[in-house]
Amino acid sequence: MKMFRKQFGNLSRVSTHLSRNVLAARVAYRDVEMSTNAAPAEDVTSPPAVNEFRTGVTNPGDHSDVQVGKFYTIPLEEKKQIFSGGGLTKKYEQQIKTFTEACIMVRSPALELLHYIKNADLSKPVVRYVLYGDNGVGKTLSMAHVLHYGALNDFLLVHVPWAPNWMKRPKESANSATQEGFIDLPFDAAAWLIHFKTQNSKLLERLQLKTSKEYVWSKRESTPAGASLIELVEHGIARIKYASETTAALISELKQLATAGQCKIMVAIDGYNAFFHPVTRIFSDNKQRVTPDRITLTQPFLDITNYDWTNGVCILSVDKIAMTEGYMDSYLPRYLLGKEGFEHLDPFVPVHVGNYTEKEFVSYINYYLDRNWITKTQPGFEEQLKFMSNMNPYTLMQLVRSL
Amino acid sequence: MTTNLVRLLECNIRNSKATVAQRTMRVFSSQQEQSSVEDDEEFRVLNLRTIKQQARRRVIKKDAVPPPRTTHMPVDQDWSAVWSGPRSFHPASVPLPLRQGYTERGAAAPSKYANAELMKIPNFLHLTPPAIRQQCEAIKKFCTPWPKGLESEATWKAIFPVEVITTDYCHSLPTIRHPEARRVTITLNLVDLKFDAHAKDKFLRLVGERYNQETGVLTFTADRCPTRKQNYDYALYLLTACYHESFVTEPWEASKSEADMEVYLFERNKAKLSAEAILNWNVNGEKQAPSATYAESVEKLINEGENEYNIAKYKEEVLKMLKIAN
Amino acid sequence: MAYVPATTLNILRFSKLSRLMSMYPSHFAEPNLNKITDRKSASHIPVKAATNDLSDSIFYGELKNKLIKYITKKGNRNLAKELLNETFETIKRTQIERLNLNKGDKTSVIINSEQLLINAIENSRPLLQLSAIKRGGVKYQVPVPVTEKKSYFLAMKWLLDAAREKDRKVHLPEKLAWEILDAACGQGRVVKKKDDLHRQCESNRAYAHYRWS
Repeated sequence: MKMFRKQFGNLSRVSTHLSRNVLAARVAYRDVEMSTNAAPAEDVTSPPAVNEFRTGVTNPGDHSDVQVGKFYTIPLEEKKQIFSGGGLTKKYEQQIKTFTEACIMVRSPALELLHYIKNADLSKPVVRYVLYGDNGVGKTLSMAHVLHYGALNDFLLVHVPWAPNWMKRPKESANSATQEGFIDLPFDAAAWLIHFKTQNSKLLERLQLKTSKEYVWSKRESTPAGASLIELVEHGIARIKYASETTAALISELKQLATAGQCKIMVAIDGYNAFFHPVTRIFSDNKQRVTPDRITLTQPFLDITNYDWTNGVCILSVDKIAMTEGYMDSYLPRYLLGKEGFEHLDPFVPVHVGNYTEKEFVSYINYYLDRNWITKTQPGFEEQLKFMSNMNPYTLMQLVRSL
Repeated sequence: MTTNLVRLLECNIRNSKATVAQRTMRVFSSQQEQSSVEDDEEFRVLNLRTIKQQARRRVIKKDAVPPPRTTHMPVDQDWSAVWSGPRSFHPASVPLPLRQGYTERGAAAPSKYANAELMKIPNFLHLTPPAIRQQCEAIKKFCTPWPKGLESEATWKAIFPVEVITTDYCHSLPTIRHPEARRVTITLNLVDLKFDAHAKDKFLRLVGERYNQETGVLTFTADRCPTRKQNYDYALYLLTACYHESFVTEPWEASKSEADMEVYLFERNKAKLSAEAILNWNVNGEKQAPSATYAESVEKLINEGENEYNIAKYKEEVLKMLKIAN
Repeated sequence: MAYVPATTLNILRFSKLSRLMSMYPSHFAEPNLNKITDRKSASHIPVKAATNDLSDSIFYGELKNKLIKYITKKGNRNLAKELLNETFETIKRTQIERLNLNKGDKTSVIINSEQLLINAIENSRPLLQLSAIKRGGVKYQVPVPVTEKKSYFLAMKWLLDAAREKDRKVHLPEKLAWEILDAACGQGRVVKKKDDLHRQCESNRAYAHYRWS
């Protein structure tokens, strides 16, 4: 009996707890109603405070060693113009969305490139700058920084966000109509043309560039000499079948125009070594893998990275992950480009992108803390992160995401 | 009967180690035997069933084991007389308290007597320093004095760069020939031969596998002729022929393409053309040539392989050549 | 705080009782992650050996570790870790977006995803369970109190079951994040399941005495 009472007491305590819990849950529910169903915030645009890890200088042309390791914000409009077709990594885009601001750290490789570009003699043949470095070290973002500079300083951007996409996972491939044994990637070419248009539409309108000769696409379609470049691009977008040829035509026109001094061109190709990879994943009619030089899209971009024109800069990046298994032993440019690629680019200026320095690392951690991305701040957590990531940007990003 | 006794006695005498007590016992027994023989003559037993007399089991007589030889070895004996050649271990001849082998934990290892472990392992008891000294003394009369001026290894290697390696075989067969004895190997360092760039490349292509890239040593092995002399001549001939042939330039060698090149040469490659084209862009007058340091940096980058140092050097040279503000 | 406060924050010790079959005598202390301050007295207390998954890194949490073990399939612990990391990332993303909507008012939104996980588990822990007991040929569903350890197990199991019951196109981390977020505010399927169980226990309270008679 005594035992029974004890158990009963236990039960009654439980039931009171139950009711209390339900009440509390209800209260909480009401509170939460207000904050759920939230769309990602877009309206937080108040200018962030300038502090030890941020800089107010948003024009990349004004960046100098003073700003190294600090974050600068790309205005949303400019970001939309330059990077809507790619150019920032997927993870970084996600981060930008979460943090509601497009911030890029000012790092020394980008500064070095900017320094070269600012002081370059544009009447000389184009100089090829090759960004190289280990995986996840910030080559693409350094390139993005320079692209932002180019967009603000009236460079026409010829930007390929990730060249291996064409070799590894093309949307569609078709036999070329004009060149025997070559393969067209019409959708990818059209996508690139759209990207080119979004990046450069304003500048193209202002410069009023004209084509130098007539392009005949078929019996009925042709682009006359003296048509504006926008027309050419729009034709390629509208007639996807001719997109590859339009790309080639556009790039040769651009080269001529730049050499004639009518415009400045900034070529930026990420994963450039994919053009020199031994094989692609595209199959030809006889079920054999095609080499990259048999793809019609390759030629114009190889052509524009040649040294035989002026009034431009080429920023290329070579990347281990642009290659496939068996060709990924080293991140150094000669290995990744191969003999052919090296000969094509030589003499180029290699620019090494490395892991974070101490200062950059601290700045990044501070930025994450400011954006509430790191919530666990036990003493010594920076040391642990530094040790585990070896100050590699991508590894750090991956480590921090669950903190 | 008496003969029997005599033989017994003789045997006893011969066995010098037999004790007196033994001898007396033997005598006593023989006396008994004698008496039984006399009895036999008196009572002869009729053997009806002719049972075969059981053959007496012969007792095998073993010589008593003498005490080990080590017990009466003098301290200053000539060891090389005891252990003159290679031989497996023998406990009674080695005056050392050796122990070898595995036992239970804590117990001492088995002693040297009847120890298979000691017999299994090779010993060098015949190669004691005095024995070697003795043998050297013995063969000294066959040797000539060491030539003067060749005291150090460096000097004789410089004067005699070619090393000839042959092997003599000594065995106990009816034939004194050994098929391997005719083999002659000559080695020399490649640096001892004088070449120009073309000859060196050609020589290396001619000798092929015979050159070791890592050590820089050339090795010619000849065993195709029946005698050693012929093989030696042939090896020297090979070396001489390859050397002189490498200085000959054949007409077809002019068609050597880039793929056949052993090293990357700036002069022959596209790097030079592009560098010249960039330097002389829109220049009508005097043509400018790329600097030697740039050429060297490109060659190093390709020939030595890529590393951070070579890349940095290349970058520096490119910046200098393209006159990019640094 | 807008959410149900966790009943105890110190949930990391599942059971204070020493296990009967333990290889350690009862006076052995649990391995401690904190730095020993009083070295002199500590040196006299025998300590159990640390398990090999115990760590003092910032990525370690005892409850988190337990959940990783429950997520693991076929011993693929790395994948389980990756999934939980992704879950935490998703939680953090949604919470930060909520925070931005609330104009950075930090008091209303918890961002710490591990804290949210703890809250969710605390909210979905059952106190009673029904167990079938046969009396006079009839099976009765008898409410029985749940031990602390089992309640944690059930909470995590329900969370995971809810997360695994999904479309093929939705990834586990995503769904798990939603479930955790829901449960942390005291709503969602898991909390409802707990409440249902409690209600059933309440209605079967008449059978409670069958437990011991």
